[in-house]
Amino acid sequence: MKEETLILEIKGNSLEDGPGIRTVVFLKGCPLACIWCHNPEGRKPGPEISFDKTKCIGCSSCVDICPSGAISDSHRFFVDRKKCTLCFLCVDACPSTALESVGQVMTVATIAEKVLRDKPFFDSSGGGITLSGGEPALHMEFTSALLKIFKQHKIHTLIETCGHFNYDKFTALILPFIDVIYYDLKLFDEKEHKKYCGTSNTFILDNFIKLTNIADNAAWRILPRIPLVPGITDRENNLNALADFLQHKAKQVSLLHYNPLWLGKNSKIGIDYELSCSKKMKQWINPERIKFYESIFEKKGIKVVSK
Amino acid sequence: MNFITHLLLKTMAFMFNTRPSLKKYLRTTDGWVNFSVGLKLENGKLEQSITFRNGKVSVSGKIANDTDVVMRFVNKETLKEMLKITPNEILGLILHNKMVLEGNIAYLQLFNFYLSLLLGKKHQRMLAKKIKEDAVSRKKEFDTSGHKARGREIADRNKNRLRGVRTDEYVRYLEDPYLSEYSINNFPRIKKFLDDHFTIKPEICTERPRLLTQWYRKNGFESDAEGKLWQPELRAALAYRYLMENRKPIIHCNDLIAGTSTSKEPTGVIIYPDAQGTMIWGELGSVDKRVLNPYTISKEDTFVLHDILTFWTKRNFREYVRDKYCNPLCLSIDERWVYYFVWKSVGISHTIPDFPKVLNKGINGIMEEIDTRLSDKKNTEANIISLTAMKISLEGVLAYAKNLSSEASVLASSEQNQVRKKELEMLAKICAKVPAEPSETLDEALNALWITWVALHMENTNTGLSIGRLDQWLQPYFVKDMEKISTETEKRNYIAHAIELVACFFMRGTDHLPLVPDIGNYLFGGSSSDQAITLGGVTPEGKDGVNDMTYIILKVTEMLSIRDPNVNARFNIEKNSDTYLKRLCEVNYITVATPSMHSDENVAASLAPHGYKIEDVRDWAATGCVEPTLCGRHMGHTGSILMNMVAALEMALNNGSHPSMDWNLGPSTGSIEKGSFTTFEEFYSAYTAQQKFLIDRAVELNNMLAEAHTVLRPTPLLSSLINGSIEKGIDVTKGGAMYNTSGSSNIGLADVTDSLMVIKKLVFDDKIISFTELKKAVDTNFTGDPKILALVQNRVPLFGSGNSESLALANRITEFIHGCYNHHTNYRGGKYTAGFWSMSQHVAYGSLSGALPSGRRAGKAFTPGLTPQPSASKNFLDNIMDVARLNPQHMDNNIAFNVKLMPGLAGKREDTIDAMCSYVKTYFQQGGMQMQFNVVTSEVLKDAMAHPENYRNLLVRISGYNAYFVTLNRDMQIELIERTGYGI
Repeated sequence: MKEETLILEIKGNSLEDGPGIRTVVFLKGCPLACIWCHNPEGRKPGPEISFDKTKCIGCSSCVDICPSGAISDSHRFFVDRKKCTLCFLCVDACPSTALESVGQVMTVATIAEKVLRDKPFFDSSGGGITLSGGEPALHMEFTSALLKIFKQHKIHTLIETCGHFNYDKFTALILPFIDVIYYDLKLFDEKEHKKYCGTSNTFILDNFIKLTNIADNAAWRILPRIPLVPGITDRENNLNALADFLQHKAKQVSLLHYNPLWLGKNSKIGIDYELSCSKKMKQWINPERIKFYESIFEKKGIKVVSK
Repeated sequence: MNFITHLLLKTMAFMFNTRPSLKKYLRTTDGWVNFSVGLKLENGKLEQSITFRNGKVSVSGKIANDTDVVMRFVNKETLKEMLKITPNEILGLILHNKMVLEGNIAYLQLFNFYLSLLLGKKHQRMLAKKIKEDAVSRKKEFDTSGHKARGREIADRNKNRLRGVRTDEYVRYLEDPYLSEYSINNFPRIKKFLDDHFTIKPEICTERPRLLTQWYRKNGFESDAEGKLWQPELRAALAYRYLMENRKPIIHCNDLIAGTSTSKEPTGVIIYPDAQGTMIWGELGSVDKRVLNPYTISKEDTFVLHDILTFWTKRNFREYVRDKYCNPLCLSIDERWVYYFVWKSVGISHTIPDFPKVLNKGINGIMEEIDTRLSDKKNTEANIISLTAMKISLEGVLAYAKNLSSEASVLASSEQNQVRKKELEMLAKICAKVPAEPSETLDEALNALWITWVALHMENTNTGLSIGRLDQWLQPYFVKDMEKISTETEKRNYIAHAIELVACFFMRGTDHLPLVPDIGNYLFGGSSSDQAITLGGVTPEGKDGVNDMTYIILKVTEMLSIRDPNVNARFNIEKNSDTYLKRLCEVNYITVATPSMHSDENVAASLAPHGYKIEDVRDWAATGCVEPTLCGRHMGHTGSILMNMVAALEMALNNGSHPSMDWNLGPSTGSIEKGSFTTFEEFYSAYTAQQKFLIDRAVELNNMLAEAHTVLRPTPLLSSLINGSIEKGIDVTKGGAMYNTSGSSNIGLADVTDSLMVIKKLVFDDKIISFTELKKAVDTNFTGDPKILALVQNRVPLFGSGNSESLALANRITEFIHGCYNHHTNYRGGKYTAGFWSMSQHVAYGSLSGALPSGRRAGKAFTPGLTPQPSASKNFLDNIMDVARLNPQHMDNNIAFNVKLMPGLAGKREDTIDAMCSYVKTYFQQGGMQMQFNVVTSEVLKDAMAHPENYRNLLVRISGYNAYFVTLNRDMQIELIERTGYGI
């Protein structure tokens, strides 16, 4: 049975996911498993339960209603995912939304209706719709259907992708309806990529090369983005390798500054985060270092931009 | 307890009877100060009174029927509290329903004053202690590390200013209209003015009330020296002329504009004893040490003021109504403060005079017009008096200008500095010419404007009187001056001079403050005079109104970043440019909070049902906070009623009784506990019945106070400067203006809408909880049932969430409220208008109100203006759209929609400004009327709480007006910190 595409969130008024004021649609599911993932609830394509301790008022309505006895104060993550059958009765019963289901089924029409409400702001700011997640290209047909509708309404479209997808399908289903591609590159070394992101980066690098080969004459533009994760992607040898790779293929790059705001997310979905409480991970990026990272790319003739 | 009180009062009597230093305060120019004060407990177990009669003080165990004022304490704890608090806090007891006052409040103030004479040193020590404790607790609670970086962030916004390009049709001379090359450092004169403004404490000035009272004592107030009844307008005009002829003509050191509002520099507090002047009486001994907004006052001035105020104890607007209408219910309600505030007890003000008339015709020209009018055979006796009074008042203005001219000459003759000498000589020439004759240069125009402005404040309370479309008034003079200049260098120099001149005008505007008793710091936190200036929009002919002066005034706004004049900007989507919009957003970004933005088209749409001529509507400008006045021809008293919508809701929840006030005030509309409501509509009817009751009472009081104004303080000078008055031969207080309305502002729309939504959805539609359960939770401030609180906060779509049902309900409520006011006629025969902004009442009323079905906890501020709740939506765009889709025709006294934007430290300036432009433009395109920003992070605000000394000039926008954050009361500061911020 084909899995339904689940939507994590539709976030309006974003100034960070592309030019102008944008609405971002986050799709659930990703082929990668980066250990620093800022949206860990987007990794699995299927439905999940999230529990936010800070919202819990201790009424125990969930404990009373759970048919599988999966909820208990004594459990580390409150909900024992091994016992949970994802019936979501507890979510319905929770008065404070401490328990929430992660990922909603939404039709293309429903999503479009929500997004279109913000269209006047796209028009006045040069903004539009951004598809993100998870990995939007994981659900190629659904994403394509969405993009088609947005294009019918003359909305500017942008996709944030990790690059791990079937190239032919991407060309056929996404490229005709896309204005901007934000293409994330993390680690150049294949071994490292496997270690930290869960798969090889061969597809990712190949796809990027193919896209940049046809970019000059395309209706769309592509911008490579590199997340600066402390001690992992921000290592000098990685950045140098990526700069070499990008030279002659891209004129611009965007460097994503690290922030520690994701650290609480994993426990909400019942996962131990694999990164032990590294001190580096808890800090905001040092502004001085940013200049240094930028110089690595500028030396190779690649301009560092923000969008 | 009764015995102790008796003893204490006897001690007080003894002190006053025996000590000469105290005895002298028992006598004033009018003779002995005679009055009596009663104290009693609610339960009747205590009754004492103290009487001051013919220089002797006595105490009795009974309160006679004719006691001037009686303090009724809720319980004996409160009575004990009275001994432990400072005078400025006594009115706070009333605010919190711990004491009820019966009788003339001025006598309570007098009693407090006498108390302060006894306990003065103690009070000062207590206040000094409070200040210390406050500073320590703030640092403890709010100090965050890294404050230097955050404080710099705001100062840094002044760097890398954007460069503009001349694109507007009527910008003739500014190639870079953003004037990015200038900063305050180019204007050392202005820098000094600004520094004084932030360093030197304002001082109470007795000049105005002293001269007026002098005249009234000699010539009589109710009747003249021969015993004949005075015609109020004639009396007012003669006293006014005397004041203007004899007040000190001062030219502020190194200023390019002559004249001051008071005799105290740089800032004086003006006193209107016929309005709220007596309210400061009790604080005279402590006002310079109070925590918020202290005023200096000399010991000599204290005695002088005491002497003056005794003349006015019964001669003020409030007491007139109490006396004539036998302590009407509507007045009693006003004096409990939580239901509504009727501004006429303080003044009418809130209008915009016809400045172009003064500039184009000169005062002499206006007097000629009056003469012509006087020669009309059809004039009634009353017309002749009104017109004569106008003339006499104008004579006063001319006398003052003449005195300024002489003063300038005197100063010039002894001035050593040659540059300054020339400036003074020029001022002497200017003041000899204007405002008597028409103005011809920018220097003349600004001096004429300022002198007229001072003159108006000498007649009328300085709350909300507004300057209007300054860019339109000044542009012709700027152009005239420029046309005389040929070389590029001279043109540049002149532009710099124009900037400096306008900056001088702005700083002149800071030379006075309204008199605010400490309770006002609580209710009207941080507000100054709110002299609103309005820029841009369209001309009466419908052309693009943006011109050179628009940008010059914006530059001054950006450089000074002061709270008053209150700068507003009209933006006309069809005619005004993006260049202009971008500059408006940049200035907001740099100053944090100004100018406030209005949609020309949508405000005009809100005024359409009034049937005004289109040229008049196009000439609208903001008044006080945000309200529209048709410049120079409209007495709108736009701030006449501040109505607490939540009070009506609380009364509906409690069958006519207000829970915090313990007063069964309103009609019986049904009891939740008794199961009176079986449908939502039934409860909605209860709410509307209570709301109508309160509106009807407020209107009653407003109309009574309007009558008081015609008797006590008509305004012939203002009348001569508002179109219609001369034509009709009628004072503006009696309806002389061309257009007459009274404006209301209704506070708590989002809180009421959300509460009603909770009741509708959870109780009646989805039947998740019973009404009784909900009421019980509300009554216990939700402490008894966290589950209900969670449901209420999470399961109901709020106003601002994009939900069509809550939007429809909000519209239904605004329509109802507008309809209530629309039924009434004001004293001058005009209509009432409905606005939805809140001054600072959203905090004050919030602190006096209980919990609400929306989940708002007791004592918490309401949302400012009609801004949606922070929790309504994560998507700010939903908020914008909902507010934009409220029907303007229900909101003809404008709205305030507050937006707090939090720029990230790494955020690029131009991106931030572009986003702001987009929010504003789209909001206006979708139907929004007004929007105002605070571009500041909560971190900075918290840091300002911990270290106010580093943030003396941090400007914030409350709800319609600007204030310095560090001058606000704590509740208001916290409201601003907790206001939702949208990150950009």
